[in-house]
Amino acid sequence: MSPQPQAAVGAPLSRVDGRLKVTGQAEYAAEHDLKGVVHAVIVDAAIGRGRITAIDARAAEKHAGVLRVIHHGNAPKLPYRDNAGSNNPQGRRLRVFQDDRVFFHGQPVAVVVAGTLEAAQHGASLVKVRYDADKPSTDITKAEPGEPTPYARGDAEAGLSSSAVRLDLKYELARNHHNPMEPHATVAQWDGNRLTVWDKTQWVMGTHDEIAAVFDLPADAVRVINPFVGGGFGSGLRCWPHTIVAALAARVTRRPVKLVLSRKQMYFGTGFRPAYEYRLRLGSDRRGRLNAAIHDIDHETSSYETFSEAVLGAGQMMYSMPNVRQAYRQVPLDVNTPIWMRGPGFAPASFVIESAMDELATELGIDPIELRRRNEPAEDESTNEQFSTRRLSECYTVGAREFGWDRRNPEPRSTREGNLLIGLGMAAGAYDCGRYPGQARARLDADGTAVVEAATTDMGPGTYTSQTQVAADALGLTMRTVTFRLGDSEYPFTAPHGGSSTMASVGSAVVDACNKVRRQAIKLAVEDRESPLYGVNADDVVVRNGRLYDRNNTARGETYKSLLARHDRSRLEANGSYEGPGSDRSAYFAYSATFAEVSVDADLGLVRVRRMLGVYDAGRIISPKLADSQALGGIVGGIGQALLEHTVTDHRDGRIVNSSLADYLVPVNADVPDLKAIYLDGEDNAGNLLGVKGLGEVVQVGVAAAIGNAVFNATGRRIRQLPITAEALL
Amino acid sequence: MHPFTYTRVSSVREALDAGRSGGRYIAGGTTLVDLMRETVETPETLVDISALPLSEITAIAGGGIRIGALVPMAVATADPKLNSLFPVAAQALRGASAQLRNMATIGGNIMQRTRCTYFRDVTADCNKREPGSGCAALGGYNRGHAILGGSDHCVATHASDFAVALTALEATVRLQAPDGKDRSLPFADFLLRPGSTPQREQNIRRGELITAVEIPAYPRPLKSAYLKLRDRQSYSFGLASAAVALHIRGGVIREAKVAAGGVATVPWKLPAVEQALIGERPSDRLWAEAAGHASDGARPLQHNRFKVELLKRTVERQLRTVGEME
Repeated sequence: MSPQPQAAVGAPLSRVDGRLKVTGQAEYAAEHDLKGVVHAVIVDAAIGRGRITAIDARAAEKHAGVLRVIHHGNAPKLPYRDNAGSNNPQGRRLRVFQDDRVFFHGQPVAVVVAGTLEAAQHGASLVKVRYDADKPSTDITKAEPGEPTPYARGDAEAGLSSSAVRLDLKYELARNHHNPMEPHATVAQWDGNRLTVWDKTQWVMGTHDEIAAVFDLPADAVRVINPFVGGGFGSGLRCWPHTIVAALAARVTRRPVKLVLSRKQMYFGTGFRPAYEYRLRLGSDRRGRLNAAIHDIDHETSSYETFSEAVLGAGQMMYSMPNVRQAYRQVPLDVNTPIWMRGPGFAPASFVIESAMDELATELGIDPIELRRRNEPAEDESTNEQFSTRRLSECYTVGAREFGWDRRNPEPRSTREGNLLIGLGMAAGAYDCGRYPGQARARLDADGTAVVEAATTDMGPGTYTSQTQVAADALGLTMRTVTFRLGDSEYPFTAPHGGSSTMASVGSAVVDACNKVRRQAIKLAVEDRESPLYGVNADDVVVRNGRLYDRNNTARGETYKSLLARHDRSRLEANGSYEGPGSDRSAYFAYSATFAEVSVDADLGLVRVRRMLGVYDAGRIISPKLADSQALGGIVGGIGQALLEHTVTDHRDGRIVNSSLADYLVPVNADVPDLKAIYLDGEDNAGNLLGVKGLGEVVQVGVAAAIGNAVFNATGRRIRQLPITAEALL
Repeated sequence: MHPFTYTRVSSVREALDAGRSGGRYIAGGTTLVDLMRETVETPETLVDISALPLSEITAIAGGGIRIGALVPMAVATADPKLNSLFPVAAQALRGASAQLRNMATIGGNIMQRTRCTYFRDVTADCNKREPGSGCAALGGYNRGHAILGGSDHCVATHASDFAVALTALEATVRLQAPDGKDRSLPFADFLLRPGSTPQREQNIRRGELITAVEIPAYPRPLKSAYLKLRDRQSYSFGLASAAVALHIRGGVIREAKVAAGGVATVPWKLPAVEQALIGERPSDRLWAEAAGHASDGARPLQHNRFKVELLKRTVERQLRTVGEME
């Protein structure tokens, strides 16, 4: 098969859905309008653990407009069939309104359904719930961890004690919430025993399967639709209780129901990046060759589910060393279940490892980049697999040059501008990009336009645009003549939109489907006596701008349109699939080197980022303009993780005390002055058709450490808690 | 949100009548509507006073300024008179985001309620919201709370930056009562410390309407500026702030007006700092010595201990900044 010209892929295009978004025509879950829709508002538990002893809904039910108050005392029993899929962690998932137990502060205990949102909200405030409250356990520092997940190679204890240089460092990382702009929302409509749900999710298929399991419905009786997502960062990777509440309320009231979480409810109605306690012991020789590392890692989970994330990978594959031991434990608490958040596992682990590497560099008097180079592994030492591509060293070189690393004075507190101490720092990053089986469907219509469908999501990276680019080139069409559709469980199956997997996985399926359609057309042409391409070797036919032609004689050709018309075909169609990495056994990671310059007010302790640079080894970049949005967005997320973001729990009763965007701080424009992203040119063809690795996760990995290391360079103060706030630096 | 009635008035007389019968005044609504949504505030009747003729900024003989209660913050911020006479006040107004400045008024600004998260969460104990229920912040998460001016009943900080500048400059508040009587209150007497009645935040009577704030004339030249520290650079309430105005003549500080924000239950006047400055010649040592009094009497809580030191450093920084201005 002849390679298709790559006209769209690699071009810095704007979002194909940009106009819809900026003109307000992109329809988000809560905006879906159904005739006769009624509104549901959840009543949140006001205790952190215990039982509901009484619910008095009389005042709410009397309020004008209220249709129904549903709670465990009157809700229908739901089957809650087992569902090991849908990203449900191990455990027993929360079952809404099925019993009197309260597992965490804010758990849904009732829902008020009313004709208007205002009546439902007021009704919810009138529901009186009485509890038998227990003292909740919400403090990770005071609770018992579960059983460890272990990892070991070599003899880490012996390696450590024989090391010339030893560090023993303890880190505390705050809980973070995703805080997407769009609140989670569900619109649910029953038609007999069939249920359609418009839901904010990063995985329509997972939500589909969970709803089918909870209500014990056949798969074809449930449809989940979600064409637009206003940010996710991981918060939409599983089906949350409110989605079930909305479907339940719609069933009970026999009306379509709209349920939108308030900003406050987003802090306990959806998940979060768990708080961590992480102890790292590191041993090296005097020249900086690492010898041993012992990682003791604890993070929060709920009392009813054991959430886990890929926090071990970085400690195993980042640097070469013979001896590693890891113990990873979840600490069950009276909180709701966490969920993956941007750079899951790697972002917290890299803060620890990359901060420790900086400490080691200081201890040894070696440049932090040089120290990393000295420990660059030749293979993934945890699996002895070759790296598909690993160009981290090049990231250092390019980053150091572009950022002006040679201007960094390694002596802390040596650069001053008035009241400000200036510091430079860097950190490495990696992310274990996903490649999951998935499918797509492509259709070329007689008018020469095409439609491609897959049940994936666009939470912001620009899936609509990048998949259109991929499809356009594979079909030989212009961007304008290709429509990519996503976000509907009736479309071909795809895996969750997360883990930096979408381009490799869905993209490969899209390419496959489009290649098949193009080949069908080529076959039609070369076998057709009336075609100018009759008799041409199919492998020599390429398509561009909808015209098929012989690459050895470009004048010889015809358009899709004429071909289909002559054959009286209304369309050509094909299903494409991607089976995952298959026989590829290489270690497939994306890499980053992140550089930061900060100022710290010497007297007042305030840290401000002045500029940041990320250099990425992320394989081929399909959509450079959107890649920049991803990379800069990831850096902004990392600035938040480093300096601002901290979900605070009042351990007396388990309530989250900063559940608003005024109190949970994320970076604003003024906090992100000068950000730049550079991508190493190149491809990684390990088990995917596009030469890509993932980008969306790795861009946040290492950011917090780079900033923390810059703060050390500025001030000489090593802060091992996130976020780094003024009180730590006074 | 609880159901309420809403009326719009077009004259002060009409407003006062509505206020006398229990109506709550609303203008920009940036605090009140927010709190109504959280059901922290549940007024029965809202009286929209936006149309009243109280939006003039006028000079007061001798170099003072009078700002009508309904002047939007954005207008006051940009006002040339205010900027030239009292930069500290104009800068303090800029502590708020542009969106708030466009909506909020001067009268509303000084009436704004605390950002204490327990106050804003109706399921938490709060003596300010529900007298006698207790104060969840005392033993809870209190990083943002007051180290000064608190009581066993309440330690919520006052959120207004502008009020800090008004406190430093010893402004007065003009009020009109339903019986038509005017009165003027020194700003220091207008905002109340919580004591045992944290639900009473202002010295204001039923139905009384704020008509203006007045900043008095000062001997010139008067150098002044506002410094606000916050975790992020914008859209954030202050960790600590300092309003400083100095009149220096013949190399000697003749007048010093200093107040702090973000650290106290009301904007916190710092008379000990002022006294340490008056009659002295500016020097780094003087700034440090004077600022050393800024946290006098502080009673820090579990999470806000750092503010004791931060406040001193903030005041010192701002004394030096203003003292060294050309």
